[in-house]
Amino acid sequence: METRLRWILALFVVLGVQVNLAQEKSITGKVVDAEGLPLPGVNVVIKGTTNGTQTDFDGVFIIGATTGQVLVFSYLGQKTEEVTVGTSTSLTVEMEEDASQLEEVIVVGYGTQSKRTLTDNIAKLTSADIAEVPNPNIQNALVAKAAGVQVTQTNGKVEGGINIRVRGAASVSGGTQPLYVLDGIPLIDPIGDRVEVGNGAPTNPLLTLSSNEIESIDILKDASSAAIYGARGANGVVLITTKRGKQGKAKFSLNLAQGFSRPTNKREWLNTDEYIELFTEAAINTYGEEDGLAEAEGLFDFLAGDTDWRSREVNTNWSDYAFQDGYQTDADFSVSGADAKTSYYFSGAYNNTSGIIRDNELERATARTNISHQLTDRFKTGMNLSFSRTEIDRIANDNAFATPLQAIAQPPLSPARLPDGSPNPNTLYGNFLLDAENAFFKTIIRRTVGKAYAEYQFLPSLKLNSDFSYDLYSQTEDNFRGQNSLFQSTNGEAFASDLGSESYTYSNYATFDQTFAEKHTLNFVAGMEYIKYNRRITSVTSQQFPSDDLNTVSGGAEVTAGTGVNLKSSFLSYFARATYDYMGKYLLKASIRRDGSSRFGENQRFGTFPAFSAGWILSEENFLNSSNTLSFLKLRGSWGKLGNADIGGDYPSLFLFSGVSYNERPGLAPTQPGNSDLTWEQSTQTDFGLEFGLLDNRISGELDYYVKDTEDLLFSVPLVPSSGAPTINQNIGTLQGKGIEFVLNTRNIETEDFTWTSNFNISHNTNELKSLPNDNADIISGQNINRVGESVASFYLREYAGVDPDNGDALYYLNTENSDGSLNRDTTTDPNEAQRIVAGNPFPELTAGLTNTVLVAGFDFSFTFQGEWGASIFNDGGRFQSVNADYYDNQSRDQLNRWQQPGDITNVPQARLFQGNGTAQSTRFLAEADFIRLRNITLGYSLPDIVTEKMGLSKLRVYLTGINLLTITDYPFEDPEARSDVNGQNNPGYTFYSAPPAKTLTLGMNINF
Amino acid sequence: MNLHKLVYAFSGILFLASCEKELEIDPTDNLPGDQAFTSELNISSILVGTYEEAGQPTTYGGNLQMTTDLLGTLDQAFWLGTFLDPRQAFTKSLLVDNGWVEDIWANAYETINQANLVIDNLDIVTSSEAERNRIEGEAKFLRALNYFDLVRNFGAPYETGQPNSQLGVPLRLEGIIEYSLPQPIARSTVGEVYAQIISDATNAYELLPSENSFYADRYAAQALLARIYFQQGEYAAARDAAHDVLENSGHSLATTFASAFNNDVDSPEDIFTFQVTSQTGINNLVTHYASEGDGGRGGDIVVEDAYLELFDDPNDERGSFVYINPDNDRRLTLKYTNQFANVIIFRIAEMHLIRAESNFREGTVVGLEPLLEINALRGRSGAAALDGPLTLELLARERQLELAFEGFLLNDIKRTQGSVGDIPWDDTSLYFPIPQTEMDTNPLMEQNEGYD
Repeated sequence: METRLRWILALFVVLGVQVNLAQEKSITGKVVDAEGLPLPGVNVVIKGTTNGTQTDFDGVFIIGATTGQVLVFSYLGQKTEEVTVGTSTSLTVEMEEDASQLEEVIVVGYGTQSKRTLTDNIAKLTSADIAEVPNPNIQNALVAKAAGVQVTQTNGKVEGGINIRVRGAASVSGGTQPLYVLDGIPLIDPIGDRVEVGNGAPTNPLLTLSSNEIESIDILKDASSAAIYGARGANGVVLITTKRGKQGKAKFSLNLAQGFSRPTNKREWLNTDEYIELFTEAAINTYGEEDGLAEAEGLFDFLAGDTDWRSREVNTNWSDYAFQDGYQTDADFSVSGADAKTSYYFSGAYNNTSGIIRDNELERATARTNISHQLTDRFKTGMNLSFSRTEIDRIANDNAFATPLQAIAQPPLSPARLPDGSPNPNTLYGNFLLDAENAFFKTIIRRTVGKAYAEYQFLPSLKLNSDFSYDLYSQTEDNFRGQNSLFQSTNGEAFASDLGSESYTYSNYATFDQTFAEKHTLNFVAGMEYIKYNRRITSVTSQQFPSDDLNTVSGGAEVTAGTGVNLKSSFLSYFARATYDYMGKYLLKASIRRDGSSRFGENQRFGTFPAFSAGWILSEENFLNSSNTLSFLKLRGSWGKLGNADIGGDYPSLFLFSGVSYNERPGLAPTQPGNSDLTWEQSTQTDFGLEFGLLDNRISGELDYYVKDTEDLLFSVPLVPSSGAPTINQNIGTLQGKGIEFVLNTRNIETEDFTWTSNFNISHNTNELKSLPNDNADIISGQNINRVGESVASFYLREYAGVDPDNGDALYYLNTENSDGSLNRDTTTDPNEAQRIVAGNPFPELTAGLTNTVLVAGFDFSFTFQGEWGASIFNDGGRFQSVNADYYDNQSRDQLNRWQQPGDITNVPQARLFQGNGTAQSTRFLAEADFIRLRNITLGYSLPDIVTEKMGLSKLRVYLTGINLLTITDYPFEDPEARSDVNGQNNPGYTFYSAPPAKTLTLGMNINF
Repeated sequence: MNLHKLVYAFSGILFLASCEKELEIDPTDNLPGDQAFTSELNISSILVGTYEEAGQPTTYGGNLQMTTDLLGTLDQAFWLGTFLDPRQAFTKSLLVDNGWVEDIWANAYETINQANLVIDNLDIVTSSEAERNRIEGEAKFLRALNYFDLVRNFGAPYETGQPNSQLGVPLRLEGIIEYSLPQPIARSTVGEVYAQIISDATNAYELLPSENSFYADRYAAQALLARIYFQQGEYAAARDAAHDVLENSGHSLATTFASAFNNDVDSPEDIFTFQVTSQTGINNLVTHYASEGDGGRGGDIVVEDAYLELFDDPNDERGSFVYINPDNDRRLTLKYTNQFANVIIFRIAEMHLIRAESNFREGTVVGLEPLLEINALRGRSGAAALDGPLTLELLARERQLELAFEGFLLNDIKRTQGSVGDIPWDDTSLYFPIPQTEMDTNPLMEQNEGYD
């Protein structure tokens, strides 16, 4: 390996060397860093000429020069050195680190900026933060790390969708996801809401990325930072930057890890004894002693099949079949390095995750190469290229009997398998094992993302960048359901789909960067960007298979369905940004973006999004800069407008008809009401912030207050059903979000071999609908309401009033309006009489994270706590699971606490089979989802340098990481982070047989050499 | 190096200039609405789309029939399935947010709107008067059929000889394409809705050809009229309409009872069906009545003893037209065992039953003497002939023996002012609530009594 690498490097060096003919005397020298280690790739130029060379792998250079000429040594991250050629023909040059370049650099979109002079609110995570959380979904690394950024994986499926809410809910029906920008390439979710592919549940659009490729993630939170992404910035922008080679010798890095997972929580269900007790009682309460007993025994006979329920022969714990012990294998490798002209990074990563739910698996291999080369002093070019292959074994969405999680509703007296080992077909619900063993759903995603770029430096202060990027996302799905799979009646069915999504992005921008009179620093960026998305989806289904051994579409005798869809959209944008600072104290910034998109209605095709911000570094002022306590103080404020262009597919504004088929005759049917005024959601955000550092920045922090007004809120407005169409996309209403964010970073102990740092963040976010159309009429969608004065998508439910102690009836508050305007708090047993009330918020109001890191004598120890408060979750499965034996579904164990005799005080009504006693959708099934979770805890040990050097390594670390090991909550359902993957965005905050997340323990090893 | 710069600058500028027009992108998989009403072919295609809409599983694909049947019995069938919505129908405790009821309402009005769009744009159909009449007739047939089932289920029952000013359903008779405007509407009376239905169905009868492939023909419209008049208690009119169908439609009883069901292609007995193939259409009756092996969920609706006990002759094929699902021992009807069978809406047996009962009630003998007609129908299934005399009870029972699980029971109870167990025919628990979604969005809507 080493030799091969030398070879490659040598090739680069040769390419980079400029031939110099004016050779007078040959000078040989060596360049070393402050520690005496050789520096390869240092630029050595004779001042005033273009003659120069680079140091080789051992830091050695040879250059022809005449006495008296000055050699200039430059190297990124080091102070430039000048040495006058004397009489000697050999010399050694020691370079010093340039401290000014070590300031934290923030990626801001079309450029970077020093954190110190930033006037925006941007949260940054580095590769160290990301590597800590071994999980195939990289967004999980962001959990609890950034103030005001709520990250929730929908549920515990390995490929599950991820919700990131930057500063709370900003949209209702429009996209709620931030814009992901990978190395300057704005990514789309290629699947989006397309129904032609998939299983009705979303997948994570960043699933194909491996965390080891990522250098940093910068989250643009406020309008000033995100406005440069204009019509797509309103939900925040997540800039993902991949790694580049760093100056120095080639660095090899190897990471191996093996993890083991279990669900965070399993609910408790009735066992056979308890089931028989409760359902016998329920049947008797409905049908009387004799008929009830007969009814119950008939039921038990049916459920038990050929087994004897009277002797309690079978007591199936269905959860044991639905869940499995998960495991995760990670292996990744990278080589990187750079000299003054060429930087390279190569990496490969492999992940194999077996989820906590049966048959849910993921295997991913990724590779990346990032190379840049300085062709001449002025011209730099490079390419980032990655490809990946991700294979997922998927299970059905939450609302299907075929999903393992629905098995938890099966009565315990039904055996899961027959004596011959085959799945028991005679169960109350379809037995998912039939699908688990006779069907598969395999998704393979092949993705290539590449960016070729060039940068030309016209003047020292002016450069032009041109980037061309291409993202190819190619997904195939193969679904086969064999003859014995669940509900299979067509001798097998095969489905195959092919989705090809490509996007190309062409951006050009010029950057002017100059300091005038050593006081005025001006940076100006202006450019344009054109993005085009093409998607093509085809699928075909066939039925009637001669044998399960043939399981591709060709094996079916009859082709029964096919789709072919082409989708296109485009964006054309112009943007400009200016930042100015005066003496590093007074900071100003302004930006503007003009976006046009084919997705917007004809009348609203272009929008302009301006932003301004200003900052003042008070600690640079004379009256403060002598303070020993206060080492840094900055005030900043920003205002800007942003858009959300994710407004429902590629043609959301058009009145559309679709082709339909009726007995093989072609028909047309209206599918979407049109709205030619449809446009992006527009949000105006104001942010005030304060950044401080105390005691030489041992204590530093940020405090922000913001107000975010979203106008032209996109809503899929429910129409009057009798009008013949269900919903229309409309820009309606305004929503105001307000919040406070506080970040505190402390270096508690800092000695030679003991450091302890803490990071704490907390944010409070509330939102309120300010206006709605049609005189602020309520918009109700399922169990959610949008009402002026309330939070967006609040729960709207009948209010459960508990149980009548006299007779065990379920009661609901009437909540009708009295003549004086107050609510009638009398109760009723008739759910149709009970009026609904606003009963909760699906989004948390308070989120917090606390991370502590301790480094001591080779050991590293860190842990992160995550907390969320104020959200409620509605259990849509409650009306089946927890309804005092209304129907044969197994019941959650808390139902044993049912009313049995007059005087019983309980919340669980009398068990009455089929009587609907307490089954109406109500607050009975709503629960607060507050929780505190030990998100991750890591203990690592690095061998001492003396030992590693002997082994020829620069670092060897072993570590143990735990994820989600501890959860503190009163939440009664699966897990506060388990939410249904089938409901649309109009109905957030539902759980429906949803899988809890995994808790994982991982053992791993990092080796660098 | 200057060349570099030039190429750079120029390519950038050229690109900027060329791509504004790239923002105009028309869909390739959909037809923009403004082009939909431009050709005769499109109008007839929208009509085909209207059939597709009407045949959806949420209504005529099965849920409409099942919801009324479950609401109409206490003991003949049992909802054993896991779905809550039909269970609420079976336990006569429909909630205002019942999903099946919401879908029936919404789907029926979607169909009605599409039919309205066809009717509104008949001007474009210019190729021939016959073609125009066919299109208008079919659209009116579908509109009448949907309004009839809406008013029967969501409105108070029709009362013969009364003004019928009780609340029916909203009548929307013009197609809506502009949804940016609010679309509130109040309920028309039962009488008004019936008047509209009869006008549409009569119109359809006049306009439609007597043969029309698997689409509605004039006898489908006449069969609808027979059913409407019968429901109204206008027995003379019902008799004559049914007689017309029996005499002139060319349809006749299938040779055996079993062969009347589970047909991929319409049987001679079928007057009108919604078409299902392995590619399109869903027969949701099979989903909920059939075993897994037949494409169902194992038998959500089981046949109870009380139904089988209605039969007076053990040789009556109809009384043994059930099977035991081997997977779970549930007793299921054999009427729905082919998941790709067409969904029968009108078949000849119903016309016989209408004509016989109407003749009996009117004391007339149009076509056939009532007892003979009933016995002929029984004879097809191997049931012994009744000796007579006929009674209304016998006629009502005969309808159940023949038409069970096809969506008739509840409407017969309402027509004959009977009861479901102890629940009288006009109790509001036997009609559907106006869906919560309609109440939430339509300020002019009034809820049915008992649901507010």
